[in-house]
Amino acid sequence: MPENQNFNPEDGLPISKVRAGKVSKYKIEHFVAPLDETPLQAVDSVKETGKPLSMWAEAWRSLRKQPLFIISAVLILAVIVVAAFPQLFSSQDPTYCALENSNEPGRAGHIMGFNLQGCDIYARVIYGTRASLLVGIFTTLIVVVVGGALGALAGFYGGWIDAILARLGDIFFALPLILGAIIVMQLPAFRDNRSVWTVIVTLAIFGWPQLARITRGAVIEARDADYVKASRALGLSRFHSLVKHVIPNSLAPIIVVATVNLGVYIVAEATLSFLGVGLPPDVMSWGNDISLAQQQLRSNPMMLMWPALFLSVTVLSFIMLGDAVRDALDPKARKGA
Amino acid sequence: MLSFMLKRIAQLIPVFIGATLLVYFLVFATPGNPIDALSGGKPMSDATRSALEAQYNLDKPFWVQYGLYLKNLVTFDLGTSFSGQEVSALLGRAFPVTARLAILALLIEGVFGVIFGVIAGMRKGKWFDSTILVASLIVIAVPTFVLGFVLQFVIGVKLEWVKPTVSGAATWGELFLPALVLGLVSLAYVVRLTRTSVIENKSADFVRTATAKGLSRNRVVSVHILRNSLIPVVTFLGADLGSLMGGAIVTEGIFNVPGVGHLLYQAIQKGETPTVVAIVGVLVIIFVVANLIVDMLYALLDPRIRYA
Repeated sequence: MPENQNFNPEDGLPISKVRAGKVSKYKIEHFVAPLDETPLQAVDSVKETGKPLSMWAEAWRSLRKQPLFIISAVLILAVIVVAAFPQLFSSQDPTYCALENSNEPGRAGHIMGFNLQGCDIYARVIYGTRASLLVGIFTTLIVVVVGGALGALAGFYGGWIDAILARLGDIFFALPLILGAIIVMQLPAFRDNRSVWTVIVTLAIFGWPQLARITRGAVIEARDADYVKASRALGLSRFHSLVKHVIPNSLAPIIVVATVNLGVYIVAEATLSFLGVGLPPDVMSWGNDISLAQQQLRSNPMMLMWPALFLSVTVLSFIMLGDAVRDALDPKARKGA
Repeated sequence: MLSFMLKRIAQLIPVFIGATLLVYFLVFATPGNPIDALSGGKPMSDATRSALEAQYNLDKPFWVQYGLYLKNLVTFDLGTSFSGQEVSALLGRAFPVTARLAILALLIEGVFGVIFGVIAGMRKGKWFDSTILVASLIVIAVPTFVLGFVLQFVIGVKLEWVKPTVSGAATWGELFLPALVLGLVSLAYVVRLTRTSVIENKSADFVRTATAKGLSRNRVVSVHILRNSLIPVVTFLGADLGSLMGGAIVTEGIFNVPGVGHLLYQAIQKGETPTVVAIVGVLVIIFVVANLIVDMLYALLDPRIRYA
């Protein structure tokens, strides 16, 4: 006899006692599982009056419970706060450097020690957050807006726009990101005005084709869906149904790729700065500090480790966030997990 | 198959022309004169300037310049660097070194990436799988040049297992550590890619059929699962050659490898624009041809592609 563990829908109390008294006297053979044991009941118990959750609310509900998401979101928030208000985290002036402190190890008030010029490494790492994060965020924004718009147009309208964009994408793909970025950063127009913004523009020039390609694929998938046809049948113009129905429904892969790429752009900035063609030397950034530290690697390896650690943890957070969002937005993957 | 190959080759031509045009346009049609870099910004007599402009075809209209550049590229006449050396001779010395480096890196990526990926995928959720997932994330997040310095410092300087820098001969053994650094990030991607597609294929119908036929587990894994899981990996490796070229600039700098990346980086640093454009043109050809080969492999691995 199966134990009856049902709950009264009205007061939420177990009703097993009442039912048990009724059925336990005789042995009843069920040829079909009783209604209260079938999974069907769970299906039937769905509230039909409530408003159905949107894809985003659904994703948010599953994200909230994911430790991966919580860890990466907290880390990213922390990095953003550090970038916005570095003075809250370090009382030291990162530009105050005394040669008497050159390569000194850490001591009270200067936990990470000093670099060759005698600047406080901790203060430099904290103040260097802003440049790296700015490059990541703004490159991603430009790439999403430009690549997303062009990809959506190509995927939705097809025809000659699509053909031109596909060929243009192929051409950009033949130039690897770092190689192309080095060439652009060496152009006199860019070399003479080196700043955070020239790095952002350069990375965006070589970053948009990838996002355009992904958007195009997602838009083509959403374009032929029934709800888009329905919106057209109801008299919505083509452009209107693109903006109102197709784009919102193809956002998921774009968000995932953009989040992961934000980390990739931060690494790319650091690599360019390391090669001496990225941010100008007077801008404090993790890439510039790592680049400076490489000459001191044998005498003061910690000078390289600290900015590298901060950079890696930040990039890792963005990659983990992208992974978590991908799992949450893809119901197929969620079922398997 | 032949018509598929011809079609793919025909598609490459506009890509090649477009990419070289893009580089050429960026370098020569933007403000600033490449000849200034040669003089180091010092004043130069008009006669010298016009002689140099004639030597690098800068006195001709843009389209003529570009046409001459393309013709020289195809006939492998790459001109001379500012120091008077033949660029093709410089490339001829540097190219075998970088080719060895890239082959080693691709081998490390392909062999270890696929082995780790298959084991992780077959044991999804077990400790090996979790370790691989975490390790690959960390490798992806740490910039190549940091990995390079750390490995050079630990293995080369502290433990003294290998020489920290590469000699002029650049033998296979010396290039192992630089190749490992160069391929490490892509190795992480290959592992994750292989793992995902193994997990997908593990529950496919043809795998169940193969098991039901009584085939040994080894045969099912190595023939049925592996071959089908390799398709995305092969595509990735082809596209990855591009990032290897970018990465080679960094890795060759760290380990002092006398390869193409080193050559290119020096040319950029010295502002030798014609040399830069020549080398990049050759790299674009290699990249485009490599992707053609990948397409062929792709069609061999998956006959469905050919008819699509």
